[in-house]
Amino acid sequence: MTHRFLSHASLTALVAELVAAKTRVIAPVHATDDPEQVDYRPIQTLEDAALGVRLTRGSLKEFFLPPTEVLLHYKQTKEGIEIREVPTVAPPQVILGSTPCDAAALEVVDKVMGWDYRDELWFGRRDASTIVSLLCAAMDSTCFCSATGLGPDSFRGSDALLVPVQGGYLAHVITPKGEALLQGYAEADENMKASAEALQGEARQKVENNLTAIPAEFSAWLASNFDNPIWKTIALRCHGCGACAGVCPTCHCFDIVDEHDTADEGVRRRNWDSCQTSKFTLHASGHNPRGSQSERFRQRIQHKFSIYPSRFAEILCTGCGRCTRACPGGMDLPKLLDELMTLAKTEAKGSDTQGSSL
Amino acid sequence: MNIYQPHLMRIREITDETVDTRTLKLEFQDSKVAEEFQFSAGQFGEYSVFGEGESTFCIASPPTRTGYIECSFKASGKVTLALRRLAVGDTLGFRGPYGNHFPIEEMKGHSVVFIAGGIGLAPVRCAILNVLDLRDQFKDVTIIYGARSVGDLVYKRELEEWAQRSDLKLCLAVDPGGETPDWKGLVARIPTAVEQAVSTAEDTFAVICGPPIMIKFTLPTLAKLGFPGERIYTTLENRMKCGLGKCGRCNIGPTYVCKDGPVFTAAQIRELPQEF
Amino acid sequence: MKELQELARKLLNDGTVKVVIGYEEGTRGVRPAFITDAKQADKLIFDKRCVQNLAAYLNPRRKQVAQLGTPAVVVKGCDARAVAGLIREKQIERDKIVIIAMRCGGVLENPETDSELTSKTVSVRCGGCDVREPKLHDHLVGELPPEPPVNNHRVEQIEALKKLSSADRWSFWTNELSRCIRCHACREACPMCFCVQCTADKTQPQWIDPSATPRANRAWQTMRVLHQAGRCVDCLECERACPEHIPLGLLASYVADSVERRFDYVACEDPAVAAPLGVYKTDDDEEFIR
Repeated sequence: MTHRFLSHASLTALVAELVAAKTRVIAPVHATDDPEQVDYRPIQTLEDAALGVRLTRGSLKEFFLPPTEVLLHYKQTKEGIEIREVPTVAPPQVILGSTPCDAAALEVVDKVMGWDYRDELWFGRRDASTIVSLLCAAMDSTCFCSATGLGPDSFRGSDALLVPVQGGYLAHVITPKGEALLQGYAEADENMKASAEALQGEARQKVENNLTAIPAEFSAWLASNFDNPIWKTIALRCHGCGACAGVCPTCHCFDIVDEHDTADEGVRRRNWDSCQTSKFTLHASGHNPRGSQSERFRQRIQHKFSIYPSRFAEILCTGCGRCTRACPGGMDLPKLLDELMTLAKTEAKGSDTQGSSL
Repeated sequence: MNIYQPHLMRIREITDETVDTRTLKLEFQDSKVAEEFQFSAGQFGEYSVFGEGESTFCIASPPTRTGYIECSFKASGKVTLALRRLAVGDTLGFRGPYGNHFPIEEMKGHSVVFIAGGIGLAPVRCAILNVLDLRDQFKDVTIIYGARSVGDLVYKRELEEWAQRSDLKLCLAVDPGGETPDWKGLVARIPTAVEQAVSTAEDTFAVICGPPIMIKFTLPTLAKLGFPGERIYTTLENRMKCGLGKCGRCNIGPTYVCKDGPVFTAAQIRELPQEF
Repeated sequence: MKELQELARKLLNDGTVKVVIGYEEGTRGVRPAFITDAKQADKLIFDKRCVQNLAAYLNPRRKQVAQLGTPAVVVKGCDARAVAGLIREKQIERDKIVIIAMRCGGVLENPETDSELTSKTVSVRCGGCDVREPKLHDHLVGELPPEPPVNNHRVEQIEALKKLSSADRWSFWTNELSRCIRCHACREACPMCFCVQCTADKTQPQWIDPSATPRANRAWQTMRVLHQAGRCVDCLECERACPEHIPLGLLASYVADSVERRFDYVACEDPAVAAPLGVYKTDDDEEFIR
């Protein structure tokens, strides 16, 4: 693996070059409605970006799986139906300054998107993207990336990882795409590497304090505790609003609907959806296998921490904590996981269980 | 072409099975697809009316009959009602085949008992016709089919054909109160019909489909006859959208109905969390 | 707080209620509490961080809460108006709940970042509040704090919107709603959105496309605030729930302001007073019919 050095000026020039070549560059920027917050948005110059300030409010998901996207156009003619296909090759984009939790999430979701049937809409955007993440040093007490097997300097999903050093950034060049983007820059020296490693170690320690690593057995415990009484009380304050799914980098569940534009023409779309909504599993007959919020919330935890791991050997969560920050009902995922993991350990020793205190 | 893009199908024939159940015979507009299309009994597809949406039904015709596929549905929502408004010659969309299938190969050389109730005959019909098209590769074939009333029996054309055959045992039943004056079949619920028509589980597979309550009361009868859970096959349904494992909607615990199903054994279903 | 905790303990111990829905210290500030065990009653708190409108949990659709049994709910005056709305619209019966009303001196707009009540930090709803001592209650608890400072921010925003031309206002909202992802968190968090099947979820016919497109987003939000007209209590749960930080509270307040001007009506604490859009009167203003 190579490690290169980019001065601030070099990075500015790189962004300018990319923009001039019509490559979309996406980076965290100060939010228009609240300058203290940051969102991922396209930038025109590096000056527009707010790198390393704090975690963005939303994830990178919308740039790979848009909240709504057209799957096909149809037109009713006298002869029948004409379908106009949508392109699966996407225009090039560079993500700059993403947090490792967001980059890793893309690789996690790749698994389901490539499961037997290859989702060319997702992979078209994945193939067209180069992801240059930035060491995360602005974690708060709700972050728990290390518990999911990642960390503030995780390489997963990134083509390169930038770490601030004097005068600019050390870039860990992780993939051939990363190398293609950064090959012209000088190699980093030993001082830079040491300084970067120190920063990375500091960041890792900070977040590791937040939640213990999720053990491999947790997935199986969840599967065999489907009927544990704790599910009845653990989500009383949950509104079933789905805000968590919206901000989550790994939630990918979607709906498929048709829409008329005119009487004869229209589109088939795929839209973000969430298992937390009451009609997610509603049958046409009126039967609903998950008729109450406690069952729907159980599904969320089971899917992320048991079902997805059992099928793809990946936790469907990268510990970014956005669900907890966005929740209007005060649900706290890392705390909840802590409680469930403690329960799993206690039950293994054969103690009583009570309703959730969470 | 992305995986969500359907094939275009033309409606060749429409059959009204009952007052609310209709069968469509569909042919692929693309002749190359028509030639190459293959599937196995039990698989399903996403059928769509452009502008209205997609709906999930099994492929009701057998893979042994090429050049067309069939689907049967009850008009109960937006898409199925729109499907009913289509006429012969109209175009609809089809994505598939998806899911797993009945173990037709495994059943060869053995006997098969098919049990169905109401519209549950649709997914089973595909397997029955598949078996009958290869009749000499199976031992005894028994078909037990019932519905609430004579008017609710579907595939009446096939029922008549099957009644003429001497190489299978057909037992038709309607619920008490559902018979007509000239009804020649049984007046009994499915579990009773099964008790009467099936004498042994030895060397026999059971395929059962129908309303959940029918299955609930018939499984004990099959168990009493000695059918092990691994030799009883049924299908499960759940709300579906993509049909190919990505939209995260149809799972029952770690089992995805669209990928691990829709065909399951009774033994597998017993292991599932009670969330369906 | 002791008074509240003792009351909760008593109501649980003597079996009057099976659950007290109130506020407790969460891991990230105050969060809703569901106290079913009298011994846990001392978790209940009430202070200026208690922003949430707990009336949402009385919605009969919330099976897992309803299953707990007869509830007592802790409300501020503004929340009590939502409880009144649910009673008025026959979603809950007055004698099947216990209303614990708190005397209130205002709450913070952003309890996670602010701690003192000033004209900049107080919730935009609190200025001029006339229900600091709620009238709809079974128990009235706490001491009456001083009047809250007034935060004019929202009033100013509404006036600014009114001054815009229709076209500019349309652009403003199209732009704000471009971030809407149709998650419907606004609906789920709203105490007055209790419909078993929302119009937006109906497929026969599909009144409103479910996709996050400009036309569908406008249609959805417009429909929602119009269905709320005269019923919305301006609690701003919709805005707090929105993961895209769309100023939905501004839209809701704008409509509430329109209802007040046209019908001289604000959603009130008295379940017996009918909301203007739910009732026909022969002397209803018809000047808009041209």
